[in-house]
Amino acid sequence: MITFERTGKRFGNLDAVKDFSITIKDGEILGLLGPNGAGKTTLMLMMGTVYRPTSGTITVNGFDVVKHPNEVRRLIGIAFQDPRVDGILSGFEVLNWHLKMTTTSDKDERRRKVEDVLKTLDLWDARKKRTWLMSGGMKKKIEDAKILVQRPSIAVFDEPTAFLDVPSRLLVWKMIRQLRDEGSTVIVATNMMDEAERLSDRVAIVNKGKLVASETPEQLKGTVKGGEVLELTLNDGSEFRPDMLTKFPEVHDVKKQNNKIMVFLNSGTLLLPKIVDTLSIQGFKIESVRLKEVSLEDVFLTYTGQQLE
Amino acid sequence: MALRDVSVLFRTPWIIITRALSFIVQVFVFANLISGLIHIQGINYFEYYAVGSVVTTIASISFVIGYDIFEEAEEGVLDYLLTLPISRRQLIIGRALGGAMRAIVYTIPMFVIVAVFWGFSQPLPILTALLSLFLLAFGVTGMSITVAVSVKNANRFDVVLALLELAVSRASTALYPIGFIPVYVAVFAPFSPVSFAADSAYSSLVMLTLDLPAIAGLVAFVVIFLGLGATFYFRRLEGGVYA
Repeated sequence: MITFERTGKRFGNLDAVKDFSITIKDGEILGLLGPNGAGKTTLMLMMGTVYRPTSGTITVNGFDVVKHPNEVRRLIGIAFQDPRVDGILSGFEVLNWHLKMTTTSDKDERRRKVEDVLKTLDLWDARKKRTWLMSGGMKKKIEDAKILVQRPSIAVFDEPTAFLDVPSRLLVWKMIRQLRDEGSTVIVATNMMDEAERLSDRVAIVNKGKLVASETPEQLKGTVKGGEVLELTLNDGSEFRPDMLTKFPEVHDVKKQNNKIMVFLNSGTLLLPKIVDTLSIQGFKIESVRLKEVSLEDVFLTYTGQQLE
Repeated sequence: MALRDVSVLFRTPWIIITRALSFIVQVFVFANLISGLIHIQGINYFEYYAVGSVVTTIASISFVIGYDIFEEAEEGVLDYLLTLPISRRQLIIGRALGGAMRAIVYTIPMFVIVAVFWGFSQPLPILTALLSLFLLAFGVTGMSITVAVSVKNANRFDVVLALLELAVSRASTALYPIGFIPVYVAVFAPFSPVSFAADSAYSSLVMLTLDLPAIAGLVAFVVIFLGLGATFYFRRLEGGVYA
């Protein structure tokens, strides 16, 4: 179990993380969802004993990250957002060295494990290629592979599928789930809604260094009133006011971002003609209309007032 | 951790080969020629220069670990190393030791060339000379790490390390006997760690005597700069940018 208790991290005058409290259960995949600069990486690096918290505490399986950093490091493996590999080493050598440093596996066992993971990730043929000659996607897979081959008690992935094509993304997600199924606790930092939604058992929304919400994806969606979202794009939304639509009892909330209007409502199909009429009478030209069920993206917008992607 | 630094060296064997060739040309062309022009009583300058060249080379290579650590911090590899299940103390000593071992491995072909050409064959003097070289390398890696973790600007770091390398290697008695060095350099030269190592290596290999003050100077240099390097490294990791 990992516990953040009012954790904070200050860089100069900037609070990268502030009063962050959450408990991560054993064997779950927690998605840390937030925009770039939200504090996700700082949270993970504090947990990984790279940064020291400036306030509050973090305990990993009962070990305080400041008082017992060596014990914590034995439990955790972090795959970084930008691949952190020695360019002069080949993919095989990077993984072999990582295993040598993090496990007690002997040479044969290391070779077998590295071979397995490289073959699964379709990197076996490129195993002797120096990593500085690899494409961004290949390097990213090597970075993820470090943790997939190590299989630590607590596996941390920072944007695990950035730079990856769709088949590779699906494969990495599958491998991360397998890691969880074998008993590892997994933390995935991401700014991709579909990744958070499809991969996580629980999603923690982080914004400006603070925890905004933390529930299962379904529970989070349930917190958005109405259950449906009507997305309207106006040619000019400068004159639009939310009260033009909140007068309808079926409308629970209205958010505006430039010319895009998000209406959180129920009975959307029935209400749609009335909304279109209301806006047309007010002189707005509607460029597009889309009625959909609440997504994690809408949840994020509701909680933070901003869109992620 | 130390073996990682050494193994990286073997990924680029051409660097060892080209530096060894460059050393051969420097010693057997330049030093050979210049020693024909210089006559110093009691000293074979050709031999003096060859031993000194090995010492200045190892000092120069030992500085490289500082560049590696600075680059690792800039590229984020240091973050990765910090997440590995090893203590900070092991990490620091491992890096310094790795840098020193790499410098020794790198310099061994040159040492062998000098030993074979001048017929240095007695084991104890050879071991003493190698110990002096290792102590110098260990201390210089500590010094290099100190600079790498205390100077944050890349350009400033390059300048500081280059000047330090120049000062330590050139303002020394490794390539020129003290009596021939200009006074303003001769004041400092005997206290250079490169001088300690060169004097110790030359005494043991050529004069077959043990230069204890030089070895003591080297040990002090190692203790001071390894301590400083570790302190600054810790400060950077735990209290500075990585706090």
